[in-house]
Amino acid sequence: MNRGQQEYYKRDYAQAKAEGKPFFPYAVYKDLIIATLAIGLVITFAIWHRVEMGEPVNPASTDFVPRPEWYFFFLFELLKIFKGQNALMPVIMATFIIPNILMVLLILTPFIDRNPERRIEKRPIALVTGIVVIAFLAYLTNKGASEEASAADGLPLSGLESNAAALAGSQLWLENCTSCHMIAGVGQPGPGPNLSDVGTKNVVSADTAEEFLKNPPGSMPAFANFTPEQYTQLGTFLEGLGTEYK
Amino acid sequence: MATTDIGPRNPAIKAGEAGFDYVDKRTGAKTGFKWFLFRNIPAETSWFQTLGFTAMALFGMQAITGIILAMYYKPDPNSAYQSIDTITNEVTWGWLVRGMHKWGASAMIVVVFLHLGRVFFFGSYKYPRELTWVTGALLLILTMFMGLTGYLLVWDQKAYWATVVAVNITASAPILGPYVADILRAGPEFGPETLSRFYSIHMLVIPGAMATFIGLHLFLISKLGIAEPPYSKRRLAIERAEDEARRAAERERLPYGRRPVPPVAPRPSRPEPVKAEERS
Repeated sequence: MNRGQQEYYKRDYAQAKAEGKPFFPYAVYKDLIIATLAIGLVITFAIWHRVEMGEPVNPASTDFVPRPEWYFFFLFELLKIFKGQNALMPVIMATFIIPNILMVLLILTPFIDRNPERRIEKRPIALVTGIVVIAFLAYLTNKGASEEASAADGLPLSGLESNAAALAGSQLWLENCTSCHMIAGVGQPGPGPNLSDVGTKNVVSADTAEEFLKNPPGSMPAFANFTPEQYTQLGTFLEGLGTEYK
Repeated sequence: MATTDIGPRNPAIKAGEAGFDYVDKRTGAKTGFKWFLFRNIPAETSWFQTLGFTAMALFGMQAITGIILAMYYKPDPNSAYQSIDTITNEVTWGWLVRGMHKWGASAMIVVVFLHLGRVFFFGSYKYPRELTWVTGALLLILTMFMGLTGYLLVWDQKAYWATVVAVNITASAPILGPYVADILRAGPEFGPETLSRFYSIHMLVIPGAMATFIGLHLFLISKLGIAEPPYSKRRLAIERAEDEARRAAERERLPYGRRPVPPVAPRPSRPEPVKAEERS
């Protein structure tokens, strides 16, 4: 905005104020009505939907599926978009790069958009950006919310039901592996790799699972107490991840 | 002040007014309050412009319910869960205060985002309100952090594991990430110190920062005035008058043919809007 436009704005606003009304009560009454409504709504919700007590903390349990508050679902879902560990789209995109870029863009908005026009229908870029951001946030939040139910009783994967061995394997995985590995947003993002599409990499198959789990690579602990059948089930599950079960 | 000449005869009222004057002469409180309340704002303000005040009211509610909860809460891993249980099931109205604090957090996030959208679509962040926007954006980020740090304090499974993930994500950031995660955890492991660290961040560090930025935000709003909605009747009339004047100028010049149409004059040098002159 150049100096002339600033001067124009100042004169225009001075005129608007001269023709205006006092802040109290003309703006205050609206503020008070909406604020009272909002607080009343909060109290209504607090009475209608009481806050429950969850299970007490047990750091030893590994089968708990962590879920953020609903207003972090969009960041949580972003993590799933960038779950591949390849160089182009590493997880750090979702955990660090994109959120920080968004925060900086948010703070710097007035210095990026310097066009003095205020009417949204005459600001096409701002209008499109605003709608795209809202749609994206709404989509990701809704996606996170709809996955909440499926994550509670299992993994949000399709195709598991048709194979009993793989289903049993997924249960074994939920009971033993979530503290280090993540599949489709369930489990911990580290220290183990994300296993969402491990089946495409030919690391573990139904036949090699026993061998793999008894002598695992790297810093992974050995799982030597399974029955042969359980090794096969877990192997079947891991073999199909990313191909049959997505 | 006029009270000495034509003030009320009742000595009690007289003494009261003298007291107000005494304070006002030393602090300017009455004058400042009068200036704040009875300053003019543009005639048309939208209902959407109430969201900022609503966010602040919700912040106040969160502060009050949070203070009440802090009277019963024990930020110690061995008794935190038990103290929340006491608040929920034994303390009189405790369930309501906890419910309001919990729902209030969600409500505040919703209202703050709606407020952000309103300011964005109204173009209210433009000159001279750029810095108001910057303080507001920082307030939005702090509100999100408030939700994140408050989550752990309940000390149930959900809270614990979600916060473990959040801290792990922080640790994965380059260069500073591991150090910030160490500060959040109060050490290399998630332990008893972590809870009191989160507690003090949640109820001292962030609220302090938020109060500061709310103060700055309010100061800027009252100094710069409430933004006029871009589609107010007054603005639209001015824009119509300006368009009309421009078209009239073009019509006048076009018949001469050879002369090219002069470029549109920059806004400030345009003729004063007709309507404004009429009114004055």
